[in-house]
Amino acid sequence: MQKKRAYSFPDEVLEHVFSFIQSGKDRNAVSMVCKSWYEIERWCRRKVFIGNCYAVSPKMVIKRFPEVRSIELKGKPHFADFNLVPDGWGGYVLPWIVEMAGAYPWLEEIRLKRMVVTDESLELIAKSFKNFKVLVLFSCEGFSTDGLAAIAAGCKNLRELDLRESDVDDLSGHWLTHFPETCTSLVSLNISCLGSDEVSFSALERLVGRCPNLRSLRLNRAVSLDKIANILCLAPQLVDFGTGNYTTELQPDVLSNLTAAFSSCKELKSLSGFWDVVPAYLPALYPVCSRLTSLNLSYATIHSPEIIKLVSHCPSLQRLLVLDYIEDSGLEALASSCKDLQELRVFPSDPFGVEPNVSLTEKGLVSVSLGCPKLQSVLYFCRQMTNAALVTIAQNCPNFTRFRLCIIEPKTADYLTGEPLDVGFGAIVEHCKDLRRLSLSGLLTDRVFEYIGTYAKKLEMLSVAFAGDSDLGLHHVLSGCESLRKLEIRDCPFGDKAILANAAKLETMRSLWMSSCTVSFGACKLLGQKMHRLNVEVIDETEPPCSRLESCPVDKLYVYRSISGPRSDMPPFVWTMDEEGDNNSNQKDFFFLDMFVRNNHYISNSL
Amino acid sequence: MELQLGLALPTPPPFDTNGSCSSSSSSSGGGGGTKKRRCFDAESRVGVVPKTLHLLVWNTDRSDDGDEPRDLDDNSFSSVVLNEEEGLVGWPPVKAWRKKPRRHNGRPNNNRTAAPMNSCGGCRASNSTYVKVKLEGNAIARKIDLSVHHSFESLTATLMTMFDISDEHQQKSFKLAYQDRDGDWLLAEDVPWRTFIRSLKCIKLIRSRSC
Repeated sequence: MQKKRAYSFPDEVLEHVFSFIQSGKDRNAVSMVCKSWYEIERWCRRKVFIGNCYAVSPKMVIKRFPEVRSIELKGKPHFADFNLVPDGWGGYVLPWIVEMAGAYPWLEEIRLKRMVVTDESLELIAKSFKNFKVLVLFSCEGFSTDGLAAIAAGCKNLRELDLRESDVDDLSGHWLTHFPETCTSLVSLNISCLGSDEVSFSALERLVGRCPNLRSLRLNRAVSLDKIANILCLAPQLVDFGTGNYTTELQPDVLSNLTAAFSSCKELKSLSGFWDVVPAYLPALYPVCSRLTSLNLSYATIHSPEIIKLVSHCPSLQRLLVLDYIEDSGLEALASSCKDLQELRVFPSDPFGVEPNVSLTEKGLVSVSLGCPKLQSVLYFCRQMTNAALVTIAQNCPNFTRFRLCIIEPKTADYLTGEPLDVGFGAIVEHCKDLRRLSLSGLLTDRVFEYIGTYAKKLEMLSVAFAGDSDLGLHHVLSGCESLRKLEIRDCPFGDKAILANAAKLETMRSLWMSSCTVSFGACKLLGQKMHRLNVEVIDETEPPCSRLESCPVDKLYVYRSISGPRSDMPPFVWTMDEEGDNNSNQKDFFFLDMFVRNNHYISNSL
Repeated sequence: MELQLGLALPTPPPFDTNGSCSSSSSSSGGGGGTKKRRCFDAESRVGVVPKTLHLLVWNTDRSDDGDEPRDLDDNSFSSVVLNEEEGLVGWPPVKAWRKKPRRHNGRPNNNRTAAPMNSCGGCRASNSTYVKVKLEGNAIARKIDLSVHHSFESLTATLMTMFDISDEHQQKSFKLAYQDRDGDWLLAEDVPWRTFIRSLKCIKLIRSRSC
């Protein structure tokens, strides 16, 4: 029978229609409708998001989407932020840049998270993409200010350079001088992570002065307070500003200049920075406070009274990041002043202290949950919690999308009843039907996982530490959480059974991380052999897992789905379990050689 | 002390629980390793200790027998990893640069004097014998392996070749400068080779006319 295309539009029309569809998920759905839509769609896809750079190869991406203008890549697992992923693990962006340099000459945007970027990669970017506009390096490492100089010099139309939280080898502040005088296109510049004490301030001022579209500027700690007024006067159109250190010698002029400078910024909505705050200068912010929607005080070592004063001037605040110096009293004040609050993050000022140094308890969070009906996203570090508080919070805030609670001491029970916090977290997942991200802490049994498996149907990311009793806990999660994409677990008594019983589930997820659990080497091998679309990687820095018994637990396990097979850039301490058994292209021998060189005494003892 | 199942390690080096874990005490909520996990302290060091040392650790709620590890039966089986200053690696889960809101002072392996927001990963430069070298006026830096050089002459000769400065007259117009660990720029000709090698962070060839 002849195929009729009676209802089809010309391709150009479809392409035009598709151009209104920006979301990756929707685009994926479009491409599944039929072959011709697949073809049309792939030629006009401009933006690609790759949540795990090892899930697919650059060549495959390029083959399917030949005309990409914007790419986002993520590398290391989330727990790399907390030093659980050894250096040299991987996440190199260079192979991607090399391929894209040839295939995407019109690439405009590169956004990377937790990847290793080298100066060579940056130089290649500067050379290869004539219309390059946006570079975001979020928590990346491996490059220096020399690479930045190449970007500054080479990218004539650069709009965005954002180095947030990256680890940059800061050789010299003079890289800023590499922006040519003709560069006037900057819209966003975030250099807050740079350590250099010699940021070329005059170059920065000139740059800011000649970029009339600059909307977001985040300075680094080295820039002192007296310099800020000048910058703000050069860029009164700023919407987002990050100060440097908020200190200088107490002089009368500084405060008035600063206040005047802030007053001239009529569009300013977001502030951050605030290292080393001298409270006497905080009033300079008052002119902008009423418009502020986002305030990041998480580096500011100011105490509750000063925080309260500042925050009570900010009725429009939607997002607050702050240290636990705010204390319960400050959170109460926040709850009464800031009714539009959507996101709250409270960080520990003394994470390793044994005794609490501030009076911040579960009560603070309860006040905020009561006073701020729009609260959706919480990250809260504290030292005590009760089931009752969690239940109250859950009932007050059924709209939570992200709830991350970190009770600093592992396995802390409900301090009033001595019970595990299962019921409290159970209430969270039961009431918050849209919960997408959850981090657990405190004393927890398998029960909490039963609740999670039963109720958390929209949960996409779960972080677990020092919790559970048995494999049943993990089984509840893997079998119940339908939307689960990322699961990261450390120090839990979860072993082989749950993983092997739910092996197929792992293919529906982006990744699973398990460290210091009881998954055996044998189970890892089995998983790797049976599941061909999973990369099962075992990380062990002390000795190759194959040198031990099959029943021995592995140190760290990282399982992720991939259509490009096992990766070939693994360091000696990472083994992939695949059809051929446990493999590392840098064989066992290299491992011993490497370890020998590094730790010769230790090895000679163990042999 | 019982060792963790199957992680067949030899007896760990003599480990003084009071001394090495210092103020944050044996285990507890202390966390967050540095990227370079060094051994505990000078006294307990026996040769070089590997980055992760698996011990069956004493329990997380302190008791008076702080030295006694908890029983496996006790359900807190965690094979926690200790590092030089605090108990658990990566716990509490705060990013490296959040650990102390105040400035660090002279962490041994952190080349930078600046704030802790630069994560404590000084690991990259510390062990490697490669240093960056730049030619003044040239945006792109190269790297050179210092371990093969033992004198300024050989170093300079290599640099000249690397940057293609073959003309002798031109060669004479360059001076070797270096940045030391404190961030100061100094002229190499002013110091002996050994001082230069020990304190340098990176090198620059500068033109010797006055700047």
